[in-house]
Amino acid sequence: MFSLRGCGLCVASSLTKNHLSLARFIGESAAPLATNFDVVVIGGGHAGTEAAAAAARCGSRTLLLTHRVDTIGQMSCNPSFGGIGKGHLMREVDALDGLCSRICDQSGVHYKVLNRRKGPAVWGLRAQIDRKLYKQNMQKEILNTPLLAVQEGAVEDLILREPEPEHTGKCRVSGVVLADGSTVHAESVVLTTGTFLRGVIVIGLETHPAGRLGDQPSIGLAQTLEKLGFVVGRLKTGTPPRIAKESVNFSILKKQTPDNPSIPFSFINETVWIKPEDQLPCYLTHTNPRVDEIVLENLHLNSHVKETTRGPRYCPSIESKVLRFPNRLHQVWLEPEGMDSDLIYPQGLSVTLPAELQEKMITCIKGLEKAKMIQPGYGVQYDYLDPRQITPSLETHLVQRLFFAGQINGTTGYEEAAAQGVIAGINASLRVKRKPPFVVSRTEGYIGVLIDDLTTLGTNEPYRMFTSRAEFRLSLRPDNADSRLTFRGYKEVGCVSQQRYERASWMKSSLEEGISVLKSIEFSSSKWKKLIPEASISIGKSLPLRALDVLKYEEVDMKLLAKAVPEPLKKYIKCRELAERLKIEATYESVLLHQQQEIKEVQQDEALQLPKDLDYLTLRDVSLSYEVREKLHFSRPETIGAASRIPGVTPAAIINLLRFVKTTQQRQMAMNELPKTDQSLCDTDRLEERQL
Amino acid sequence: MWRGFWTLVARAARGPRSPRSCTRQGSGAPVPGSGATIFALSSGQGRCGIAVIRTSGPASGHALRSLTAPRDFPPARSACLRLLSHPRSGEPLDRALVLWFPGPQSFTGEDCAEFHVHGGPAVVSGVLQALETEAQRRQALRQLDGELGHLCRAWAKTLTKALAHVEAYIDFGEDDNLEEGVLERVDSQVRELELALSAHLRDARRGQRLRSGAHVVVAGPPNAGKSSLVNLLSRKPVSIVSPEPGTTRDVLETPVDLAGFPALLSDTAGLREGVGPVEQEGVRRARERLEQADLILAVLDASDLASPSSCNFLDTVVTPAGTGNLKENSQRLLLVLNKSDLLPRGDPDPSPNLPPHLLLSCLTGEGLDGLLEALRKELAEVCGDPSTGPLLTRARHQHHLQGCLDALGHYKQTKDLALAAEALRLARGHLGRITGGGGTDEILDIIFRDFCVGK
Repeated sequence: MFSLRGCGLCVASSLTKNHLSLARFIGESAAPLATNFDVVVIGGGHAGTEAAAAAARCGSRTLLLTHRVDTIGQMSCNPSFGGIGKGHLMREVDALDGLCSRICDQSGVHYKVLNRRKGPAVWGLRAQIDRKLYKQNMQKEILNTPLLAVQEGAVEDLILREPEPEHTGKCRVSGVVLADGSTVHAESVVLTTGTFLRGVIVIGLETHPAGRLGDQPSIGLAQTLEKLGFVVGRLKTGTPPRIAKESVNFSILKKQTPDNPSIPFSFINETVWIKPEDQLPCYLTHTNPRVDEIVLENLHLNSHVKETTRGPRYCPSIESKVLRFPNRLHQVWLEPEGMDSDLIYPQGLSVTLPAELQEKMITCIKGLEKAKMIQPGYGVQYDYLDPRQITPSLETHLVQRLFFAGQINGTTGYEEAAAQGVIAGINASLRVKRKPPFVVSRTEGYIGVLIDDLTTLGTNEPYRMFTSRAEFRLSLRPDNADSRLTFRGYKEVGCVSQQRYERASWMKSSLEEGISVLKSIEFSSSKWKKLIPEASISIGKSLPLRALDVLKYEEVDMKLLAKAVPEPLKKYIKCRELAERLKIEATYESVLLHQQQEIKEVQQDEALQLPKDLDYLTLRDVSLSYEVREKLHFSRPETIGAASRIPGVTPAAIINLLRFVKTTQQRQMAMNELPKTDQSLCDTDRLEERQL
Repeated sequence: MWRGFWTLVARAARGPRSPRSCTRQGSGAPVPGSGATIFALSSGQGRCGIAVIRTSGPASGHALRSLTAPRDFPPARSACLRLLSHPRSGEPLDRALVLWFPGPQSFTGEDCAEFHVHGGPAVVSGVLQALETEAQRRQALRQLDGELGHLCRAWAKTLTKALAHVEAYIDFGEDDNLEEGVLERVDSQVRELELALSAHLRDARRGQRLRSGAHVVVAGPPNAGKSSLVNLLSRKPVSIVSPEPGTTRDVLETPVDLAGFPALLSDTAGLREGVGPVEQEGVRRARERLEQADLILAVLDASDLASPSSCNFLDTVVTPAGTGNLKENSQRLLLVLNKSDLLPRGDPDPSPNLPPHLLLSCLTGEGLDGLLEALRKELAEVCGDPSTGPLLTRARHQHHLQGCLDALGHYKQTKDLALAAEALRLARGHLGRITGGGGTDEILDIIFRDFCVGK
């Protein structure tokens, strides 16, 4: 454990010997080394670390500002990463060379892929993570990232100045004011303050203001944002109590063992840091009617459950489970918090009862009869900013060069935060370089689905990723995130390392070659049956079968196929990942063809840009109802595609907008052609305009 | 000749546009907007072996490309066989000969394309529909009539729930405890839905053969001669004719060729406060049928215009339709004054205060030519616009119900749950084109309502 507080510089330098000249750490007592940065990121959570590292990878001089350096990379809630949908997000963050997947491959204690039997498009990479290791590894990574400096301090205010005329927005951020009155200047600012905006902790009937336990909430900043005119909403979430490991009777509970072999999160890792046999198990227990009774008898002592602040439609706490689905046994997973941790995290038991009642409730659960509660569960209520106030690059409509990422946008989960962090960091950097924003479409990734949902629809519950949110689920798979995003990240942004780019390129060409070889091998079905007796190939089909078609059978994999047709197939089973990915490509081949067509349709809609400075409320040339105008005005969709997904915006309105875009584009095209034909005339025109 | 031309608003906006605006007025209604591309069926309406659909205008190339994708673009002025697919959904429409005439060496001087498709109404409407606009699609949705609409909405509800449960099993099955048997229940729901859909489609195909055509409803007060008119137009005794008011008590339908257009002619009970329960029911049905009509033939007794039943009919049926201030899908109406033979000779017009009307004598046949010419004009308007034509709307519903059924077939075949869910999504999408709905949020609502999930 590092204790960086107070003596930052010296500890940091011992940590960062190799890169001392590049990575700077500034303790709160030390004099700042510099007060001018390209990008300043506020917050050191999962969004903040990814944003800061991404901006630095893009080549921007970046400062990460956090309350306490020793909380960087802290997993404040569950001791796990990934899952169904969330694992997809992590793969995409990794494809853009983000941090969390690589750190998880170095810090996990139980790796398991969920949904193994349900089809590779919905596999959920997941792992129990050692909190301490994760924090250590993340801090090491952050403090060793070239161009990235870290400073402790509480941000009290934003420095604002007049807006850039060529962009929309009523002002422009140019830095931040810290609690001690000092200032840091920045070309772009990324805000990732999580639940710190007017956070309130609730246990029983007690409430006290705070972010996470023991941290200070940022009240000054919240007021500044409200004064600027940001629409603020309130959400609630919760966390379960922690239990002493040695007080649990595991011997009577169902044990879950990790996968063997472990599948790493990151594309650049062949394996994880720990062998399967050295990993820790999880255990499963259930609630019972006695738990229901305790919850129901004590509702009057539970203000978090009763209050009107919007909770999610899903069941985040044991109280909501008991209230909405009574008389049922609910699952409680007992998860390890780390290799040498004495704590158990009872997942599924989030609760805000008074502490003594929590202990009473725990001890009536099987296996927990003698359990010792080390820390009570609690609820958190916090402000979030309506995400319809940000663009798909995560920049705010109101304040130029100010970006929001993570829980502040109404999401929940480490992975959702990390995904936004990468995109915000990349775009904060691109903005400084005056380059066009980097936007992931919903046809390209779960990151796109996440950000498009947030920015066009908003949310009134903590937004969590599910695979059912993705229209193109069969195309957006965990296995192919690199082919979807790594090349864009490398070519358009420069946030991807050479090594990763080369690996992705090799994989892409190997896959293409493999698929064309598999298509070229054709035998009759009876010959295939003879070659692979294990496969349930029906004989009698007159048409010859391609090897790719045979690979579609559930019981056939590349190994089996390569055994049957060693030449030229055996070279494709040397790499495990390649062999698996060929099998997956074969499984979805026919459906993907159809989906490609749909994706093209959506992309056509996305290509139709709506002018950014459009004033929908007064726009004359388009016939739109006032209701539709208001919706468009608030969400400010960037494309026809996004506009069509806003509820209440009618198809007729979309057609009218389409017409408008069409004529605008024509006008623009005509404008663009003019300079070629008559440069001088055009220049005079512009001059006159300026004089007017 | 179908004269209803309409623009490819949505499509054309996406297509590569020449900066030069080339507007061309069709012989029908003026085309809104500039540089419009028009298209129409140019081989005559009704059933035929091969139907020819022509487009003319700058977006022709784009229309051809989007209908024939992913195959290469056909060479100029030579016939090619292509599979036509719906540009949005990719649904195959027909295997057709296509021709490409780039302007200015074409019959209109603009870029033109021709599609020679198989002439069944479903194929023709399918291809025309592939070019239809979103606004027209909405209109078809609104027209989803009583019984079928009710059925489709019920199917959509079942399917949405089935899909939501599969999605729940994918997203939460592993980590949260869904109760046993979720997938088994979905399987049996899908089986039931398949049975219902295939039974309906077998019926619908038979029904459609009889019923395709414009709905022409003959209505009027009792004993105005409605049934005589129906018999005259269909050249066969469909309805019993008698001098007694209230002879026709139910709606009688007969498919006829009206002025060259396929039409379904309905004879209805005379509209009056009925005497007995049977006639009252007949009047109720007549009113219902009036609401569904594409064209109303309103018949009055020319010699009895001042009677209460005639005045009442004029006020409640003729005037609202005739003034033309109905909603956008306003009904067409032809007012016919029958029994002109009873009028005193030499009287130029017995009723100058009435809305525009035609004089007819079913007895002598006088005025029939004028009526047929008027019918031809009205039906050309009705049939020319595929979004209001009953034929297209039904073909469209049938098409999507079939698509839904096919997708459900894929659900059964696959073991990969992501693929199975995709089949249900596809099936729901087809129903969604008829009923709307089925979006992600609806699915999530059902998941969180039916299952205790989340942490």
